Amino acid sequence: MSSFSSLLPTAARGLISSCRSPLRPASMAPIVSSFQQARAASKGGRKKMMDKSKGSKPAKKGPKEFIQRDLKNIDRWALCDAMRYIRAIEVGREPTNVKYEIHVRLRTKRDGPVIRNMLRFPNPVSTESRICVICPPGSKAEQDAIAAGAVLVGEQVVFDAVKAGKIEFDRCIAHPDSMEAFNKAGLGRILGPRGLMPSAKMGTVVEDVAGRVDMLRGGTTYRERDAVIRLPIGQLGFSPEQLRDNLRHTLEQIKKDCANLNDRIYKDIYEVVLSSTNGPGFSLNGDFKTELSVDPAALQGN
Amino acid sequence: MVNLFKRMRKLKTILNVRVGEGAAILPAAASATKEFPAITRLHLTYARKMYNGHQGARHFWRNCLPRLKYYNPAIPMTVRQTDDQEGPAALTVYFAQQASKTAGLLATAELKDTHAPAPADNETAAALDVRGLGYSEIWTKVKKLTGAEEVPATAEELAELKELERLRAKAVEDRARIAALRQAKKDQERMLQEARGELEKMRQS
Repeated sequence: MSSFSSLLPTAARGLISSCRSPLRPASMAPIVSSFQQARAASKGGRKKMMDKSKGSKPAKKGPKEFIQRDLKNIDRWALCDAMRYIRAIEVGREPTNVKYEIHVRLRTKRDGPVIRNMLRFPNPVSTESRICVICPPGSKAEQDAIAAGAVLVGEQVVFDAVKAGKIEFDRCIAHPDSMEAFNKAGLGRILGPRGLMPSAKMGTVVEDVAGRVDMLRGGTTYRERDAVIRLPIGQLGFSPEQLRDNLRHTLEQIKKDCANLNDRIYKDIYEVVLSSTNGPGFSLNGDFKTELSVDPAALQGN
Repeated sequence: MVNLFKRMRKLKTILNVRVGEGAAILPAAASATKEFPAITRLHLTYARKMYNGHQGARHFWRNCLPRLKYYNPAIPMTVRQTDDQEGPAALTVYFAQQASKTAGLLATAELKDTHAPAPADNETAAALDVRGLGYSEIWTKVKKLTGAEEVPATAEELAELKELERLRAKAVEDRARIAALRQAKKDQERMLQEARGELEKMRQS
């Protein structure tokens, strides 16, 4: 009996064993035999599943695109109305610290390239960061860096200032030629924990020092994550016109980014949400104001 | 991005900005009377912790000030948190030209709030001492001082408020129900696990 059943697939074996003739003397305790049966059946089941997966396509992984719901049914706001609410919710906070943010939802596939870029606003959002440049004194890079607006430029000057504990800059860039001197100076202990160490990986060790300084000073980087681009676009004290200009500039740039992608990849702006540091998100309908809106001049300052 | 329905549900909370204590229009240049002149700005100072009666001032900022700001978007309102528990908890109201008639009764002249900005030439400041007061009491005082006109909630807003309250109560119920279901499932699983353990023991012995 056993040799015969071993030739059959396991599933069939389970089947047979379950309809054995009652004449056959029970050799095992009833609990154990039923346990074995159950195991055989489950084993057969698993094998069946594996066969199926081998033959046909692999299991479905879910939708290829991010879900796009119909935005007709949701509340959407004009810019001024959304600003009025946000300003009410953020009342009493420092108008330069609190930022308006936008979340741009894209119509896109789940895989494929993402948008990543840098932009400069017509009205700068953050106060310009102070930049330190480490480069050989007297070189062309030094002159360029100063011309581009770096605060602290040089080699030994910078090292001395840092060692004395005077770190009066927010970003640090180095020229490859002075990396040797920089490594000798051993400033890793001071600059490392502050995140100011220049490294090629972060793009802060570059030949074109001036260009990088220019970019770091007033630019904002943004990237798409899970089909959403999030970036701050204004301080709370901004007037609706200032915010509108920044918004328009940003959306134009994102549209350009979408168009610049590969031909086969299609991306498109689907929803724009205005939010703030502590506030909720208001989906914008593209209007500047409605007839019920307050005077836009009232929506600025504190 | 968060699910659309969740976002829209969360956004219902902006109803709180429109309805409740503090939903009032302060006299502006157009609506000013002799008794209640126009308000140019507000400033609130209080200490970070609640000790020594600073709690009400903070609650006033959290509860009433957003509504005031919503209905009076053009009036600058500033808040200053200090670390000085002994310092003042004061609400300074700046009137155009002279202060209101009620300011003499309500405001404390000797209150020295150094964090409040100095009044301009055409402004008069009246400081309310709000130490030890609850936020509702502060709001009543502010109403009396400024002559603010409350904006009554519309019928739709009240209905929406009622609906939200109903949903909140329902959520409590549902939460308990789901917790019970999950617990029952967990218990069942644990029981099966234990039974399997006993079986193992039987086989080994």
